[in-house]
Amino acid sequence: MADDMITEGMLDMFIFETEQGLETLENVGLDSRDAGEFDDDHVNEIFRIMHTIKGASAVMMYQNIATLAHKLEDVFYFIRESKPENIPHAELLDYIFEVSDFINGELEKIKEGSDPDGVADELIANLDTYLKKIQGSAGGGSAKKEEAPPAHAPEEDKPHFYIAPVASEDSHFYSIYITYSPDTDMANIKAYIAVNALKGIAEDILFTPSDIISNPDSASVVLEFGFKIALQTTETADVIMDLINTSSGIDQVEVNECTSDEFLKFCAEAEAGNHPGSSAGEVLLGPIEQPTVRTDAKPKEIPLTEEEEKVSVARKAEKEEEQEKKKLAPKKKKPAKKAETQSFISVNIQKMDLLMDLIGELVIAQSVVLQNPDLKVPGLDLSNFQKAAVQLTKISSELQDAIMAMRMMPLKNTFQKMNRIVYDTSKKLGKDIELEVIGEDTEVDKNIIEHVSDPLMHLIRNSVDHGIESNEKRQEIGKHEKGKIVLAAKNEGGQVWISVSDNGKGLKRDEILEKAKKNGLLGNRSERDLTDKEVFNFITLPGFSTKKQVTEYSGRGVGMDVVVKNIQEVGGVLEIESEEGKGSTMTMKIPLTLAIIDGMIFSVAGTNFVSATNAVSEFIRVDEDQLVIEPDGEEYVMIREICYPLVRLNRFYHMSNSKENLSDGIVIILNHEDRKIAVFADELVGEQEIVVKPIPSYIKKVKGISGCTQLGDGSISLILDIGDLIGK
Amino acid sequence: MSKENLKQVLNDEEIVTENKKQYMTFRSCDEVYGLSLENVSEIIGLQQFTEIPETEDYIRGLINLRGKVIPVVDVRIRFGREQLEYTDRTSVIVIQVKGTVLGLIVDGIEGVVEIGESEVSAPPSVSTIEQQAQKFVFGIGRVNGEVKLLLDAEKLINDSEEEEESEDEEE
Repeated sequence: MADDMITEGMLDMFIFETEQGLETLENVGLDSRDAGEFDDDHVNEIFRIMHTIKGASAVMMYQNIATLAHKLEDVFYFIRESKPENIPHAELLDYIFEVSDFINGELEKIKEGSDPDGVADELIANLDTYLKKIQGSAGGGSAKKEEAPPAHAPEEDKPHFYIAPVASEDSHFYSIYITYSPDTDMANIKAYIAVNALKGIAEDILFTPSDIISNPDSASVVLEFGFKIALQTTETADVIMDLINTSSGIDQVEVNECTSDEFLKFCAEAEAGNHPGSSAGEVLLGPIEQPTVRTDAKPKEIPLTEEEEKVSVARKAEKEEEQEKKKLAPKKKKPAKKAETQSFISVNIQKMDLLMDLIGELVIAQSVVLQNPDLKVPGLDLSNFQKAAVQLTKISSELQDAIMAMRMMPLKNTFQKMNRIVYDTSKKLGKDIELEVIGEDTEVDKNIIEHVSDPLMHLIRNSVDHGIESNEKRQEIGKHEKGKIVLAAKNEGGQVWISVSDNGKGLKRDEILEKAKKNGLLGNRSERDLTDKEVFNFITLPGFSTKKQVTEYSGRGVGMDVVVKNIQEVGGVLEIESEEGKGSTMTMKIPLTLAIIDGMIFSVAGTNFVSATNAVSEFIRVDEDQLVIEPDGEEYVMIREICYPLVRLNRFYHMSNSKENLSDGIVIILNHEDRKIAVFADELVGEQEIVVKPIPSYIKKVKGISGCTQLGDGSISLILDIGDLIGK
Repeated sequence: MSKENLKQVLNDEEIVTENKKQYMTFRSCDEVYGLSLENVSEIIGLQQFTEIPETEDYIRGLINLRGKVIPVVDVRIRFGREQLEYTDRTSVIVIQVKGTVLGLIVDGIEGVVEIGESEVSAPPSVSTIEQQAQKFVFGIGRVNGEVKLLLDAEKLINDSEEEEESEDEEE
């Protein structure tokens, strides 16, 4: 590669743009999957993407990528121009994915600093074969075919030059528009007669629809949209008029002379809009090669002029086609989404993190100021201060929201990746599975998205592979509906719930129990004691798989524990619900953000602890007589007839100088998932927004403490992780 | 006094020669210890710290240093001595080694000295130094007839894991 010439910035930009392009490519591909065909917008989008990638990679001198992109572009050029029907969609989709995978692989190599040396010859050959195939089948029977496909586009771009048409001295350019009365029979033949009549005087002629002879259906097209001819001749408009009017059924004829400049303009437009990828010469010459189109009257003295004429016609034809297509296919899919034109800048994530940290500091500094002990002088008039303080608090909380919003990203991209996984996996396993996505616009902190992607992928694979039965099996057991996976996301009280549900066979409680017993996981609990949830949770333990067979996708028993670990890393939990024979639902419950949380502060023996406010269900003063002590020393408190296990933080952490008497201190009821425990502390300190910081690595992990934070007075408080505390 | 100030003071007084190294010296119990100035980022007065339960007793807790949370270690306890009441002279030396920041609670700051390589000798195998402290001392420097025990900051920071093993051995 030309390393010297290529700067880092260019490379970054190339990688970024190409990745984005490929992502869009896959999405468009998957979008069209259910429809079984590409609509116009899809085709244009793919064409555009491949063109961009081709151009960019050629600039970067990644020839293999450029060549492959070019090939796919060719295929879509043909599809766009010729609108062949009945193209093998699934096959094309596979090629698209293969191309995307190949280029992605090469991008990885580039990122690692090595040369993209992959060879895509086989894929290119396949695409070639495919292109030939659809070209072949499109030759007959297509009603919409108007422009013939280009002859094979070249491997490399040639420079595009526009030269004003150099017409022979007396040459004029005409655009002719003929409409036929609606009751005309065989309008296509009539049109052909007109063309034939003009042949005698034409230096060059091009018309649309172009397949009037080979395709009887074109008659209706001619009737509906009229017949257009581009003509270069030395004769006058009157002569042309006379010649055309020899055939019957003509409703109206328009003959307009145009200048060579207009032709040039048309040509430029057409080039920009239609044929960006290929050299002018090649693309435009293409139609000439088609025997049905070309009625070559005289030797080509002025080739460029001819070509440009054709472009202008092709351009018009395309517009017509679009209208036509809309009319002919009103049942076509949902209106294609237009690319959103928002302006974005990309910012280094480290800068965002820094900003986030600084705002965290600001929040703390603010509470240091506002709760400053100096203000607590009796008799001090603080009314102005308080007003200013309210304003400050408001602004800083808005600032916080803004930075949060900046870090929030919709789950859309992540979900779209899943689409691809379902497609690939179900195809390989021969299962007919549909994926429904709900709530893909739900927004989550960027950091969290990164942690969600892997577990989600795993859950989806599990559902496809194990959850949903094979097609035959479904038939057998009388499940008639298609295998379906629902991927849903929603906001739920400061959390995001992302669930993967399938309508497959569900989890088998008995099998899991048996395996758990074998592995000695039950302890001294009886099987009946265990709730379904507890049983299903066994599958999240390392090495636990009831699957006897290992498949390519899952079943090795290393999956679910990794999923759970990943989710826990961002402070989330995994919940499993399942009904045998009906399917299962795995729900990831993940906090919206990691950085700033509302915390409830309480102290034990002079040390402050914080717990997330949404984990606190209540705090209550209890009397000694509400305390129940088990013979083994475990303590419970009875509050309103409900029994909560009691954790005395002072005893748990062996702290002295704290309150021992229950009635002196305070009991805080904390939730963890579906469990509630009572925590005994000396006193409540207050509530504050806290910025979570890790405990310095010098200090070993302390059970139940997940981090620390700075309080309003500048002191440090320890963050209590209730899940860790109760040893779950 | 920040590191820069200390250096400044020193530079004014004498010219630093190549094979001499600067050490921050401090008192803990009756000994004078030295830490290479490279590792010292600043000296602060003792401030309120938050105790962390269930940690080694020499880790006194966490302090807030301008928004950064750093652990503080009492050098006396670390070296197996009795803990004393903290006084006005009690200071915290903040050291930084390879990104890890740690505060050391010491009885008092002595100053900065320069010790040439020739003035540093290996610690005697049998010595009066507490055993706990011994493993952190990499050399003994003599300046004007005074003995400074030179500490290896890296070992101070990385000791937590090794600690348990060696403690077990000692017991």
